[in-house]
Amino acid sequence: MLVLRTVQLTDLPQLQRLARESLVGVTSLPDDSARLRDRILDACMSLQQNVESPGPQNYFFVLEDQADRRLLGCSEIVATAGFSEPFYSLRNRPFTSASRELNIEHGVPALSLCHDLNGHTLLRGFHIDSARVRTPHSELLSRARLLFIAAHAQRFADAVISEIVGYSTDNGHSPFWDAVGKHFFDLSYVEAERLCGLESRTFLAHLMPQYPIYVPMLPQAAQDCIGRIHPDGQEAFDILEREGFETNGYVDLFDGGPTLQARTGDIRSIAQSQTAQVLAVSSIDARGRYLVSNDSLGHFRAIVADLDYRAGQPLGLDGEMCQALQVTEGSSIRLIAL
Amino acid sequence: MILRPVQVTDLPALLALARLAGRGLTPLVDEERLTHRLRWVKRTFAEQVERADADYLFVLEDDDQQVLGVSAISAAIGLREPWYNYRVGLTVNASPNLGISRQIPTLFLNNEMTGQSELCSLFLRPDQRRGSNGRLLSLGRLLLAAEFPHLFGEKLIAELRGSADEKGCSPFWDSVGRHFFKMDFSHADHLSGLGNKAFIAELMPRQPLYACLLTEQAQAVIGKPHPDAEPALRILTAEGFSHQGYIDIFDAGPVIEAPLSTIRTVRDSQHLSLVIDTPDDQAPIWLIHNRRLENCRITAAPARLTGNSLLVDRLTAKRLQLQPGDSVRAVPLPNRQWHAVTA
Repeated sequence: MLVLRTVQLTDLPQLQRLARESLVGVTSLPDDSARLRDRILDACMSLQQNVESPGPQNYFFVLEDQADRRLLGCSEIVATAGFSEPFYSLRNRPFTSASRELNIEHGVPALSLCHDLNGHTLLRGFHIDSARVRTPHSELLSRARLLFIAAHAQRFADAVISEIVGYSTDNGHSPFWDAVGKHFFDLSYVEAERLCGLESRTFLAHLMPQYPIYVPMLPQAAQDCIGRIHPDGQEAFDILEREGFETNGYVDLFDGGPTLQARTGDIRSIAQSQTAQVLAVSSIDARGRYLVSNDSLGHFRAIVADLDYRAGQPLGLDGEMCQALQVTEGSSIRLIAL
Repeated sequence: MILRPVQVTDLPALLALARLAGRGLTPLVDEERLTHRLRWVKRTFAEQVERADADYLFVLEDDDQQVLGVSAISAAIGLREPWYNYRVGLTVNASPNLGISRQIPTLFLNNEMTGQSELCSLFLRPDQRRGSNGRLLSLGRLLLAAEFPHLFGEKLIAELRGSADEKGCSPFWDSVGRHFFKMDFSHADHLSGLGNKAFIAELMPRQPLYACLLTEQAQAVIGKPHPDAEPALRILTAEGFSHQGYIDIFDAGPVIEAPLSTIRTVRDSQHLSLVIDTPDDQAPIWLIHNRRLENCRITAAPARLTGNSLLVDRLTAKRLQLQPGDSVRAVPLPNRQWHAVTA
C-alpha cells in the first residue's frame, strides 16, 4: 500500500534521488543534500509549532510504498507565500491605449513584476514517479495537501495558489526565458532554475525587470509560452483545475507558466470532504474509491481506499488501512471521493 | 539668393515645394493649414505672438523671386501640447553574489525638450543643392537666433529623420509604436506631421522600455539618422550640435541639440558696418543678416573683413536691403560643400 505521510529526516537520501529526477522548473526541490536537509528540518519544525494563523511554516509530504519503504513522490505546502522574502510573479494585464481624437482604443497586454500573491498559501514541489503519473496515487499526492488544509485551516490563508511549470524544450530551453529572463540574468534557464532552488530568491530582486514588458514586443515563440504548461506539468494542472482552481493572469517570471488560484473555502476537497469515526472491520463491501486521511498534524497520513461510506455513520476501515493511517476504532478521519 | 520670412503670397510656391518634397514636408501639404500657418508666420515676425506659438518660417529665394527652399525655427516646443522624446538611458541589473552585472539600455519617455527651440521644415529643391544654398538655408536661421536670443530657448534642437526602408517602414516603429497605435508608420507619421501630436500622449506607454526586448532591427536603428538626414547632421555637427541620447519616439531618429550661445554661427557672428566695394576673387563666403526681424534678410556672399567693417558688393547690399554704413550681423560660412536636405 502507498501512504502519504509527513517527511522525516531519514527520507533525505531518497528525497535527493527524487530531486534529481524532477523536472527543471520544479524549483522547490534542490538537488543539494544540505539544502534538502534544511527543508526537511524546517518542515518537521513547522509541525511542532503551535500555530494560530499562517506564518513561515512549510509542510512537506512524501508518498511511500509500505512494502519496500521506497519514496515515489513528494509534495509541499508553503503556509504563506512571500513570508520571509517576496514572492515574485509577473502580472499579465492590458495597458489601455485610448485616443478619443483618433477613435482608437485597445488594450496592449503587459507583464509587470509584482508581489501581488504574497500572503496566499502556496502548493508546490509536486513530483511523482513517472510510473505513477495519472494514477489514483498522483491524486493522493496532490489532494492530500487539501485534506491537510481542511483539517488545519487556521494554519493557512484564505486563498491558495500553485505555479505550474511552464513550457521548455527537451534540451532545457525555455523560449520565454530566452526572450525575457536571459537579458536580465545573463544565465541559462536551467542554471537560473537551479539557483532558485538553491539560493534565496532575493537575488532575483536585483536582477529582475522593474518596468513592464509589453507582450506584443516579444517574439512570437515567447508570447506563445505565456500561460503555457510543460507537458509534465499538465497533470498537476488538471488535478487542481478539477478542484476549482483557475488561472489568475499571473505567470512565472522564468518560464511564463501559469498560476492557479482558488479561495480556500471553495476548493472541492476542502469544501466537500467529510469527517467520520473509524469502525475497525475485517472486510469491506466497497461502493466507491476515496482519499482518506487522519486528522493528525505531526503524523498526518493519507491513503487511497475502496470504502463503503455512508454519510453520518462510522466508516469501516480494515486493519491494513488503520495501520497505514495510524488510526484505531473511534479515531476521526477525513475523506473525499476520488 | 536670400533667406527671408515667408509671405502669404508664397502659398502656391510652397505647395509646389511640398509636393516635390513628399514625406519630408508633411506640415506643408495641406493648403488650408498652410494658409493658416503663413498668417501665423507673418504675425510671428511682427512680434505679435507669444513665444509658445512663434513660428519663424523662411524661404530661400533667388534674384528672380523664385522660391527654391524652406526652413524654419519653432521658437518653443511643447508649451501648447506635450513634446515627447525617448531618452536612451541605462539600467544596471547587478547581483554581486552571483557575479552578474547587466547594463541594459532603456528608453525613457520624457518631455525634457519643452520650451527649447526646434530647427525644422527644411527642404531645398534637388536641382538647387549646390554652392552655399544648403548652408544658407540651414545656418541662416541661426543668425536670426543670434540676433534675437530672447525670442528663443536656451537650446536649439533638431529631430533628424530616423532609419526607414524605401516603403517608409521604420523598424523601430514596427517594434514599438505599432503595438500601441495599431497603424503603420507612414500613417502615424502623417498624422504627427499634421500636428495631431496630442494623440501620442494618449497612446504611448508611459513606462520605460528595455531596448533589449525590441527586435534586433529596431535596436540597430536607435539614434541612427536616415541617409537623407546625414548632410543636415554634418552641417549641424560642425556648428556644435551633438546627440545627447534623445530620440524621436516614432522612428528613433536622433535629436541633436546645442546650447544657443555655443553654436558656432551664434558665437562667432559679430556686428559689422557695411562697406560697398568689389571684394577680391579670393574673398571668403560670409553669412550676413540685416539685423531686422520683420524685414529680415539673410544672404551668403563673398566678403572681406576690414576692422569693424564688412566689405561686400553692391548686389549683396541690395539683397539685404541695406545702405553703406548700415550694421549687419555676419559670420564666415564654414568652407564645406555639404548640402542640407532635411531637418
